[in-house]
Amino acid sequence: MTSQAIEAPARPRSSRPSALAPVGLLVLILTPLLLMPLAAVYIFAFRGGWAAFWTALSTPDAQFALRFSFVIATATGVVNGILGTYTAYVLSKYRFPGAGALNIIVNLPVAIPTVVVGTSLLLLWGPVGLLGRVIEPLGLEPMFTPFGVLLAHLFVTFPYMLGAVKPVLDELETTYEEAAYTIGASPWQTFWHIILPALRGGLFTGLLLTFAHSLGEFGATVLVSGNLRLRTQTAPLYIFSQFEAGNIEAANAVAAVLATLSFIIFFLLMRYTRQPSKDS
Amino acid sequence: MSILLERLTKRFGDLPVVENVCLEIAEGEMFVLLGASGSGKSTVLRMIAGLTQPDAGRILLHGRDVTSLPPQQRGTGFVFQNYSIFRHMSVADNIEFGLKIRKVPAAERARRREELLDMVGLAGLGGRYADQLSGGQRQRVALARALAYEPKVLLLDEPFGALDVKIRAQLRRNLKDIQERLRLTTVLVTHDQEEAFELADRIGVIDRGLLLEVGDPESLYHKPRTLFTATFLGAGVVLAGRVQDEQAAFGSLALPIPHSVAHEEGSRVRVLFRPEQVAISSAPPTDGSPILGTGAIIDQTFSGSTRRLRLRLPRLTGARQVAPATPFGEEGLLVDASVPADMPLTQPDWWVSLRGWHILEPMPQRLLVCDPGDGPTAKLTIARDLARQLWANVVVLGVCREPEGAAALRETLAARAQAAGLDKAEIRVRHGQEIDEILAEQGESLYDYMIMGIGGSKPDTERPGNVVAAVLQRAKTPVLVTKGREAALDNILVCTAGGEPGKSDVRVGGRLARNLGTSVTLLYVARTGEDASPVAQSHLDRAAATLRSLDVPVSTKVAAAPTPAQGILSQAQSGYGLIVVGRHARSRGFFALDDVTRQILTRADQPVLVVPAEEA
Repeated sequence: MTSQAIEAPARPRSSRPSALAPVGLLVLILTPLLLMPLAAVYIFAFRGGWAAFWTALSTPDAQFALRFSFVIATATGVVNGILGTYTAYVLSKYRFPGAGALNIIVNLPVAIPTVVVGTSLLLLWGPVGLLGRVIEPLGLEPMFTPFGVLLAHLFVTFPYMLGAVKPVLDELETTYEEAAYTIGASPWQTFWHIILPALRGGLFTGLLLTFAHSLGEFGATVLVSGNLRLRTQTAPLYIFSQFEAGNIEAANAVAAVLATLSFIIFFLLMRYTRQPSKDS
Repeated sequence: MSILLERLTKRFGDLPVVENVCLEIAEGEMFVLLGASGSGKSTVLRMIAGLTQPDAGRILLHGRDVTSLPPQQRGTGFVFQNYSIFRHMSVADNIEFGLKIRKVPAAERARRREELLDMVGLAGLGGRYADQLSGGQRQRVALARALAYEPKVLLLDEPFGALDVKIRAQLRRNLKDIQERLRLTTVLVTHDQEEAFELADRIGVIDRGLLLEVGDPESLYHKPRTLFTATFLGAGVVLAGRVQDEQAAFGSLALPIPHSVAHEEGSRVRVLFRPEQVAISSAPPTDGSPILGTGAIIDQTFSGSTRRLRLRLPRLTGARQVAPATPFGEEGLLVDASVPADMPLTQPDWWVSLRGWHILEPMPQRLLVCDPGDGPTAKLTIARDLARQLWANVVVLGVCREPEGAAALRETLAARAQAAGLDKAEIRVRHGQEIDEILAEQGESLYDYMIMGIGGSKPDTERPGNVVAAVLQRAKTPVLVTKGREAALDNILVCTAGGEPGKSDVRVGGRLARNLGTSVTLLYVARTGEDASPVAQSHLDRAAATLRSLDVPVSTKVAAAPTPAQGILSQAQSGYGLIVVGRHARSRGFFALDDVTRQILTRADQPVLVVPAEEA
């Protein structure tokens, strides 16, 4: 009896009717803040109908921007997938002086404004930059080229792979590796057959996050790419340029494609990250 | 020889985890390494598998030196405590993994897999994943996986630790069957004595990195050589007494000493008797079995067919109870006996006699004397006298900074020891940082006391230097700090002043007094104008009871003084040969020897024995 009496006030769920007011207020706030902008992308993209949407997407500039963004995002995913996993492995398995500092440094890119990343990359690799000056006589000019864009994206998305893989590695007990060793597997076989499969979930999450962020990256890209159409213009840059030029339909068509891609990635992430709890 | 370990040693930092382990394991043998957690048993196993690299020593598997080989090339099967089943692989894939690595054809792999699944009793479960298996099934998978590639040696690290009791018993029988069928050399690590008895052909008892004893379960249980084995393997009473007239005398109880055990007249001797060797009867036994005395039952536990009794007897004058550990303040002798469960126990007092017993091998006490190689030799002569009275072995330790100086230092130390009459002492020289090396030596071997000297000829230098202070702070052994002059260690003053009264200082001081045949004065210092509090008074009473149980003449004294140190120092002037103080657990700093101890060390005339606080 007494325990019930104590428990009763701790159950606000029983007073269900009052939920209407807070939920209503929430919807009221979120509608202009989140829901309407999300909807607006599609509303404006399709205002001229399917044909207009298709025409806007078929221009060579739009085609290039989308394809270029896709290629850069894929390349960023692959390179940072390998680099991030390797970094996570080293940081998780080895103890060395400076490990703590290194751990902070590799996670720093999330905290730096992307515009700052753009300017510092320009100052480093630009024609008169610290390293740019050295490699310029060799005919290498990374800035304002696709390679420059890739460099910027690698920097900006570096922590995502690490953040997804390292916690999994940290929790993977060393006895799994040791078991493989005693069974006869070489370090490489152990990595390939034991560690990598255990990382599947983390790798997938990390790749999606990296891909998504690369797809939408703007601040650093706009500076290092020079925004050269048909050469270094990514989809977000295309949207921005078209919008500035007053071509709202063209901008919105590409925006709708980007938004759809983001939704797909987001749902994949939601689906996939919910599963491992059952797995482990 | 299937497995041969030669002087295997491993340290983590300056902490020795495995120390000079030598072991031979025969082909097809089931060997169990038994020890408490942290004893180093798993480290030994990991070194055999190649998962941990030894600092010194050799490992031979079937005559092949594998010490520097990686685990992949050692051909051992290892079952981990957490089983480490690969989660993304099915049971079948887990088992086949070692065969795939070895590029065995698929058909052969499948045949072998089915054979193993059948052997461990998991036929038909090959398609399952780890999270679909019970703990016992996972253990079977781990075993099958380790056996798949036909290893020459099977290593198991606490394989039953995570399972409940019923399943454990069943899996033990399974493992034993498989091991016997395959005639596979197996090393199993456990802390469970029952498990060791059930499985082992031979057991190795390991404690603090030292392999103490190796033998078959029965001889280890009935005829252990060391005290640790006697108390770790099963219950029993251990008493310490002295050799008198060729017999082991424990007060009124005299037991013959077997010829195989060498004993000198007057030296310490210990006897072990197990609960089932203790008989209780309502009348004095007439069959001539040795009588411990009469006593009352103070506790009993029922365990099915038998009943375990604990009886309190009047203590045997001249005997000290070593095991079971007596509660602080207990004066009587506590004896465990095992009787049939249906025996009526209505009587208040029982005659307690022995049906059997075992005399433990003598283990002389060990003294460690730290000698820098110059300065007063008083600590050496004090060590000599102490060693004679305690029948102790002496190690003289010197530390030099560089290895090059070792030979010269060794010569100096040998000459100084010789001159002081310590001609049987073992000389050890280590090189490195003095504090670290002294503590390392203290940690590696089991010493009863350490002896260090402070001060030279001038009285004002009689302060504990950094080395003595640091060693006192961190040593786990009682440290006798001697002054620059010789002293006789009689009339011991045990100080319980200054905060929480210690227990280990009373026990250690009492044991020393007993061994030296001298008396103890228990001192409590109260603040001027105050009486001893009831708590302090009760502690003094219990301390006195503890000392009486050691047959030590004891008197208690309450003195008043402005500070504990002043009280102790003024008391100390009235004819005491040794002051015993406890090291307080509170002072934590690196060189922060607590103030009371430091003042006593600096200002007292006589040697001071500093006893570390009991570890929880």
